[in-house]
Amino acid sequence: MSFHLYLMCHRVDSLVASMLSPEEFGAYMAVGVMKQARGMVIFFEVNPDRLGDAFDREQARKECVAHSNGAPKRSKYVSIYRTLERVPVEALGNLYLSTRDGRVLTLPARPYIVAGEISGGINMYLELCPTHPLVVSRLGPARFIEKLTDQSNPVSVPKLLIADMLIDQDIDGKLASYLPYRDPEHIAHCLTEVAENGRRKDSKTVDRVPSIDAFFRTVGRGFFVGSGTKINYYPFPSRDDLEEKHHWWWRSACMS
Amino acid sequence: MNSYSRRMLVIAAMMSLASLAGAQDQVAAHVEVARHIPGWWYIAPAGAVAALLFAFYFYTSIMKESEGTPAMKQIASYVREGAYAYLRRQYVVVGAFFGVVALLLAFMAFGLELQNKVVPFAFLTGGFFSGLAGFLGMKTATASSARTAFAASKSLDKGLRVAFRAGAVMGLTVVGLALADITVWFLYLYLYHHQLFGIEPLNLETITVVMLCFGMGASSQALFARVGGGIYTKAADVGADLVGKVEAGIPEDDPRNPATIADNVGDNVGDVAGMGADLYESYAGSILATAALGVAAASTNGWAEEVAFNYLAAPMLIAACGIVLSIIGIFLVRARENASMLELLGALNRGIYVASALVLVASYFVISGLGLPFSAFLSIVIGLVLGLVIGKGTEWATASEYAPTQRIANNAKTGPATVIISGIAEGMLSTWLPILAVCVGMILAFSLSGGSKDVFAGLYGVSIAAVGMLSTLGITLATDAYGPIADNAGGIAEMAEMPKEVRHRTDALDSLGNTTAAIGKGFAIGSAALTALALLASYIEEVRIGLHREVATAYVAPAPGDDYMVKDLGYGKFGIYIPGADDTMNGRLSHTFSAIHVNGDHAVWVTVDEGATKGEVVPVIVNEMGNKARASKLSVYTTQGQEADAMRSLSATKATLDDYMTFYKVTLMNPSVLAGCFVGVLLVFVFSALTMQAVGRAAAAMVDEVRRQFREFPGIMLGTQKPDYARCVAISTAGAQREMVLPSMLAVAIPVGVGLVLNVAGVMGLLVGGLTSGFAVAVFMANSGGAWDNAKKYVEAGNLGGKGSDAHKATVVGDTVGDPFKDTSGPSLNILIKLTSMVSIVFAGLIVKFAPIIGAWLGLS
Repeated sequence: MSFHLYLMCHRVDSLVASMLSPEEFGAYMAVGVMKQARGMVIFFEVNPDRLGDAFDREQARKECVAHSNGAPKRSKYVSIYRTLERVPVEALGNLYLSTRDGRVLTLPARPYIVAGEISGGINMYLELCPTHPLVVSRLGPARFIEKLTDQSNPVSVPKLLIADMLIDQDIDGKLASYLPYRDPEHIAHCLTEVAENGRRKDSKTVDRVPSIDAFFRTVGRGFFVGSGTKINYYPFPSRDDLEEKHHWWWRSACMS
Repeated sequence: MNSYSRRMLVIAAMMSLASLAGAQDQVAAHVEVARHIPGWWYIAPAGAVAALLFAFYFYTSIMKESEGTPAMKQIASYVREGAYAYLRRQYVVVGAFFGVVALLLAFMAFGLELQNKVVPFAFLTGGFFSGLAGFLGMKTATASSARTAFAASKSLDKGLRVAFRAGAVMGLTVVGLALADITVWFLYLYLYHHQLFGIEPLNLETITVVMLCFGMGASSQALFARVGGGIYTKAADVGADLVGKVEAGIPEDDPRNPATIADNVGDNVGDVAGMGADLYESYAGSILATAALGVAAASTNGWAEEVAFNYLAAPMLIAACGIVLSIIGIFLVRARENASMLELLGALNRGIYVASALVLVASYFVISGLGLPFSAFLSIVIGLVLGLVIGKGTEWATASEYAPTQRIANNAKTGPATVIISGIAEGMLSTWLPILAVCVGMILAFSLSGGSKDVFAGLYGVSIAAVGMLSTLGITLATDAYGPIADNAGGIAEMAEMPKEVRHRTDALDSLGNTTAAIGKGFAIGSAALTALALLASYIEEVRIGLHREVATAYVAPAPGDDYMVKDLGYGKFGIYIPGADDTMNGRLSHTFSAIHVNGDHAVWVTVDEGATKGEVVPVIVNEMGNKARASKLSVYTTQGQEADAMRSLSATKATLDDYMTFYKVTLMNPSVLAGCFVGVLLVFVFSALTMQAVGRAAAAMVDEVRRQFREFPGIMLGTQKPDYARCVAISTAGAQREMVLPSMLAVAIPVGVGLVLNVAGVMGLLVGGLTSGFAVAVFMANSGGAWDNAKKYVEAGNLGGKGSDAHKATVVGDTVGDPFKDTSGPSLNILIKLTSMVSIVFAGLIVKFAPIIGAWLGLS
């Protein structure tokens, strides 16, 4: 039987050993066996060989064995606190997005050219792990992560996972009507404030505890994880690709 | 002469020995009148045959299409099996109901002799053909969904044509069977019934009113189909949504949802079988009521039987022309690839508009050819325009492109409570157009037809307007039945994982179906309102016949040597009997002159100028069979020295509607009328409440089952186990069968109960209260529900945050509340309105005989 390590990064910050494949693990974590657990799941597959010594991999291997009836071990928690910061970026494999009803989309990591970031634009990021605010910023994603993981900055974290969020606008300049944000006027106000006061303030918190309803419908370019200049980029498919190639996942993703 | 007869001053005076002898001669002469039907009348049955032939042609052409991949076939077979399982159970319950009611009617006809012996059979055939229309429509629909989805993989036009022609099978089957049922019954009753049983030929009044009675069978079947189907479909829908979508986050038509097949089955049993049975009844009811009123108009005006026949035949011929022209319209429906929503709607409307325009032309020739007044043609124009106005009004009130629905959606910004409030408000407000349109249409048709001078002519105008509205039902119902077929096709395309372009095409077809379904419901409600007025008049016609039958049943042969016998049956009813009746009911009917007494200025003498005595006006009483008893002189009428206090009597069979209103005290000052009104309103609300509660209970059972399956079979969500679809189908079926009985029984029992206690006045109040409140509530519910549904779709289309937003959640609540509004209670009210009229008509004889007795016991009369 296979052995996998998964880093769960939404609502929890845990490293989990499992005998399930990523798709099975995503479905299991989203819907649970007895339908006790519910909700979307965001997790990385972790390469154990690149994990370093921060976790006891051998112990995890020993405990992650099939049940007496032959059923695979679904989950064995290895770490549940400050986990992301201890997993090297190089160990992070594919990112998996599991919908509330257990359908899983695989996002492979792609190289991200920091130098290619367009300066001057306004972005919105949802910080997923370890912090959770919704922020608008003049900084590109790499610069944003670099700044927030700069340990010389008193307001920083060792490592950060963010999602780039859509801030499309209608012709009238308002936030696009199809975006399911709870308070679009407030977001528009924050965007304007950062755009107008960019020199003094390059980022502004929109919401400290944002609702993430219909989250997958609001993801823009994709997901970024890293520390300093070490960044993994997980591009989110275009709408056409989602409808064409990932139809079932996208239908479920639109439900929640 | 007995003591009763001495009170009958006027009648006794009228019934001179000479005239009675003359009457007997006429009775004898009447039997030998040979009947024939003009050749042009056979256009009507030919239209019915054409409809059924083309329905068969469309069905066979659809069956030649492939059902697609094995997965598509399997899903379609689940839906088909579920639908058949439901109908099998429904027919058991409905069969039991029909058995009991048929026995009751048979007892009334054969035991109490309170109605024609044909009535129980007419009731059964009405129910049978109504159910058959629904069954055949559903059989086609369930066979066509997968074929539509597969055809859509080739082109949008191909998909549209398969779905639409499957709907056309439904439309043409409904109109074909209805017109066939009408024409065959008419042919039998007019030409063969008396020959078969060796009795007097039935007159046209009796034939039309007896045929109306099969409307009760059709209405009863329709009510069960609508209520049962409505409960079924919404129990499945709400159950599937609440657990599947809300709790588990599963999208629509996801095969992991155990209730998804039941949901698809529900679309068929509710929107196809229910709608088919409903409109079968509306269509047949409008033709029969018009025919009955035409004959009544001819009778009260003393027109020749040929003229009466033309009035009777006109609605049948217009219906037949409508069928042929609907078929032409059906062939005109096609769309180009990548057609927009508006273009698709235009494709359907092209068929409807062309058929409607051609029906107008054909109607003109029918009306003028039969020698009917031009006003009848204008009434048909009014009916057709009215149908389009109501349809457009419904579209305005419910389509997401227009302000009312968008207002509801915008209220979602502030949560579900404001969505509910605005949905109720918009629904209530939306009633103004159809109600005012019906009022204007009704008054216009009535006045243009000379209703101010001749009530029956006016009512005939109103009634034929309903025929005009429904004349193109062959194609309008096709657009209606098309909706659930396209909806199912979309579900199958999703579940069978068909390519993106196919799903987009089936989505486009589905969206179009939502709009056409709303318009179709508007038609159904509007026609119900128009037909109901005609049925009110028909009710009085049945009272008239019921009264005569009661009097004839009490036949007492005059003593030897006497030329007549007068008997007071109490409660203002009198019988004047002449010798010679045999023991058969028909014989007694022919030798009986029934009369009601009328006080005051409203008395109308039934007189004609026979011209036999040089212009002297001679009073004549005409009995149910059209036979006349002639009095000697009018002067005798008002003399006898008691003119001031004389109790004036009137031939029951020739009294006018006004006379009956007076006789039964149908006036707003009579508390029985007002009490009946209140009960009618109450019936509408109680019925709506019961059907909604039924949906709630059946949906709760479905929710429990879906939760159980998710809990006990975790592999369902993980995709490793197949849900038990059949169990959910069975639960919805059982729930619908259990829950449909009480509301349906109420609809039958209340008119009879009110009639027995409050007499004809109470029944008239009940019908008026039920009609007015039922019409308004039905429009309100249908439009609120439709608008809530489309407000949700408006948000899902990417407005106000789109799917998953707070606004979306709020509109989902609105849609869930609206589900039983628009698909269970609202549409069922159409049938409730008509069924109460039909039950009143069928049981009129019982009411006429026993209500005065019960009223006297209770001190009400």
